[in-house]
This record gives sequence, C-alpha cells and structure tokens, in this order.
Amino acid sequence: MKKLTLDDLRALRNSKKKAMSQRDGEAKSGEVVIGMGTCGIAAGAKSVFDAFLDEMEKLEITNIVIKQTGCMGLCFSEPTVEVATENMPHVVYGNVDEETARRIVRDHLTGTALVSDHIFDKPSMDIIEKGGK
Amino acid sequence: MHATLCDLMMDLVQNSTEADASEIELTIIETKEQIEFTIKDNGKGMSKETQTKAIDPFYSDGEKHAHRRVGLGLPFLLQTAEAADGLATIESEEGHGTQVHFYAKAQHMDLPPFGHFASTATLMLSQPTQGNLSIVRKTETDDYSVTREELVETLGDLNDSQNLTLIKAYIESMEENLEKAG
Repeated sequence: MKKLTLDDLRALRNSKKKAMSQRDGEAKSGEVVIGMGTCGIAAGAKSVFDAFLDEMEKLEITNIVIKQTGCMGLCFSEPTVEVATENMPHVVYGNVDEETARRIVRDHLTGTALVSDHIFDKPSMDIIEKGGK
Repeated sequence: MHATLCDLMMDLVQNSTEADASEIELTIIETKEQIEFTIKDNGKGMSKETQTKAIDPFYSDGEKHAHRRVGLGLPFLLQTAEAADGLATIESEEGHGTQVHFYAKAQHMDLPPFGHFASTATLMLSQPTQGNLSIVRKTETDDYSVTREELVETLGDLNDSQNLTLIKAYIESMEENLEKAG
C-alpha cells in the first residue's frame, strides 16, 4: 500500500461524500457504542470494532457513528455493544464476537431484525443512575 | 490479562483521557533489542499516595464504579514489563499530569505480541474527548506521527464510521511503510 498523506485522506473523504449523495434512499442514522474498558479490551472488543467497520464498509452503510465507552458493569458479558438506530429498539448486546458484530450490521443496522440470541437488555442500573462515564 | 502491547497502550491512553488531559502524547520506539513506549498527559495527575495505590490491582478510586474493588490497567502493565525483563514506571504530579513509561526486551519469549496498531490507534484517536492526542511511532531508521487535531481538520467527525475506516487505512499505510531494522 502506498503511504497516504493527509491530502489523500481529504480527497478520499470527498469522493466518498460524493458517492453517498448520489445514492438514492435516506440512510437511517444511528449509533453503535462499544464497551472499551479494561474488561472489553481483554475480551476482544478491538476485533469487534474492526468487524463493525469492515462489514459496514462492505454493505455501504453510512450515517452511523461508532463510539466507545468504558465498562458498563457487565464485564462477564464483554464485549458489549449498545445499538441505537432509528425505528429499531435500543438494545445492548452481550458476548459479541466478530461474527455477531457482522450479524448486527447485516440485521440490526439495516433495520430488518434484532440479533436475538445476544441481547443483554440494559446496562447495569447503578451506572445509568450515576450518568456513567 | 491483555493479549497484546497495543491493548496495554489503549488502556493507558484511556486513563489520560479520563484524567481530563487536553494534550496526550504517545511515543513508541521499537528497535531490534527493545520495545519502549511513553504516554504523557497534562491531566489532573495523582498524589504520591494515589500513585502507590494505583499499582495495586485491588485499588480503584471508586469514581466510575461505586462498589468496585479492582483496577487492573496499571497492574497489567507492570506485570507485563516484569515478565519480559523490562520495567514500567509512573511519574505524576497532582494538577500537572502523568507520564507512564514502559520498556521490555523485544525478543523476550514472555513479551506479548505487539498487536494490530492501526485499529488500536483508530480507537485511541476516536475516544470521546475534546483534547488532542499525538502519536509518534519510531524505529531505528524511520518514524511517522499522527495527531487527532489534524485528522479532525481533514475529516470532521472522527466517530463517523466512514471516517473511522479512512483513519484506519491511513495508519495502516504508514505502518506498512515504516522501516524496521533487521
């Protein structure tokens, strides 16, 4: 691979933007939050992040932001991923490996189905009450 | 236990972010004999007392999780350095910032693998913070650097999934072209 410069990066960004605006249909917006605490990292959250990026790129899914959060108090079910998209229930997935991440992109982010066997429900209540960090 | 050195660095950069640092510098120096990295921030720092406690795996400041009695980030780092004939040190001043330094023998059989730096750096750079992060990667004969500020200026929202893919490709391209001795 050629060494990219910031100018290359800017050009790539602009060409992607152009391609997006030429495509039909309204892309649904949403947010994917990956638990990246010590527990999440140790359980493989980094490869989950890679899988999300890769699958979203393949399916040309845009308008989704991927954020990170610390531990949600669910260390035993790491990696955990919270997904909030338009027209779909707000879900916390637990024990998400690379394949599950790809399924979440294919099913949940496209707005067709939830990945039922990995739904954890809600983050630990004491953390929600304190606002979390 | 963390599987790679990248995981350890990720944990430390998060510590700096959580210490409300506006400037974080991660410098990684890889030579044939040694691997070394330093994370320096201008965050809130720690008192001498807290520094001693921070390396105890059964200590946590309790701010994030009220009932938790473990904090494994720094203990993992110390353990890894010790296992690979190296050393990890923490220097910190309350109100001024913290600097964590790690080195270990590159060829040591108990040194964890380096890990995939492009995804790690992408995650570090897209952490929820307004502060800047500079990453400097050096070998004996080559180096490159990347900063959060320049990426925000070039791409805009760093959490946008397409921008994340671009950042990863950008860093991958620099990793691939980084000359390593021997």
